[in-house]
Amino acid sequence: MIELTKTGVDGLDEILNGGIVKNSTTLVSGNPGAGKSILCLQFIYNGVEQFDEKGIYLTFEEDESDLREAAESIGFENWGEHVDNGDIKVYDKKVLLRENDFSSSLELLLDDFEDNDYDRVVLDSLAMFELFFEDEQEKRTYLLKFTDILSENNLTTLMTNEQGAVFPETEIGLENYLTDGNIYLIQTPTESGVNRYLWVAKMRKQNIETDIFPMEISQGGIRVHQNASAFSMMSEDDSPL
Amino acid sequence: MASAEILQTLGNKYSAEILDATDEPQSAQELSDELGIPIATCYRRIDELTEHDLLELHDNILSDDRRRIKVYRRNVDTVHIDFEESLTVDIEERTEVTNKLDEAWRTLSEG
Repeated sequence: MIELTKTGVDGLDEILNGGIVKNSTTLVSGNPGAGKSILCLQFIYNGVEQFDEKGIYLTFEEDESDLREAAESIGFENWGEHVDNGDIKVYDKKVLLRENDFSSSLELLLDDFEDNDYDRVVLDSLAMFELFFEDEQEKRTYLLKFTDILSENNLTTLMTNEQGAVFPETEIGLENYLTDGNIYLIQTPTESGVNRYLWVAKMRKQNIETDIFPMEISQGGIRVHQNASAFSMMSEDDSPL
Repeated sequence: MASAEILQTLGNKYSAEILDATDEPQSAQELSDELGIPIATCYRRIDELTEHDLLELHDNILSDDRRRIKVYRRNVDTVHIDFEESLTVDIEERTEVTNKLDEAWRTLSEG
């Protein structure tokens, strides 16, 4: 029986047939603004709030206070409290890039991984992590080693991946093959604003719904609507496909 | 002169092969077997390379018959040779980040 880690995101666990496979690494891809960081915040926050699972949040993009504000503004009001009491451990860009020395933070991080204290990890973003490696081969090798380390330490991980194209058909990076799961967040502009969709393209060991589902971002975070038929009601022009 | 000495060390028979093979830690015996280097020569090259920080003693691992074996790993990724001003040999060491991940990953496979 495969153990699952619930995201606690409305609608997403149902699409995943219960949750993300425990100890796996899932890549969350999308354009800027598609909701990658929100999904990640929610994954960590719900872990603490709903499932009594501690989390580590690694961000090369923001510092701790920005992240706290972002979390609280979307309705994760206890985020700061969880950070203060250690249920959520944040490695922000100041810490990770301190004196340009990622290797010393990596050491602390690896210690945390081995502590068995945490269950969930977010890495925002994979692209920044990969900057520490020289060439494609090295990136590939060390991404695999890193995911191995996470998995063996019983950590379920989300990594964000900046997606250049509106829809991923044109560029599928190596990262997508090397991770256990792929979730795409898609946004298409409309006259009145933006339509948002979520697509679980891959989840190893798990039977998933592979349709593209509409989602919204509002107070309380991401909500995925399981009513996939909403998609078919869109006109040709609106379809991201 | 140190630069010429490093080139000399790199140029010795089997040195390049040893550095090429030590991406992951290897023992002298393994290197000797895999690369077909006489064991005495292998030890000598390892000493030379280690002396110039091109190779490093990585660990003392426990063998199947419970003996301690020294394993070595290369400490260099790239070598630049510059003749323009005066001979300089610039050694780019492996980054600490990759070293640490290698180490953590190896601990897993042992456990």
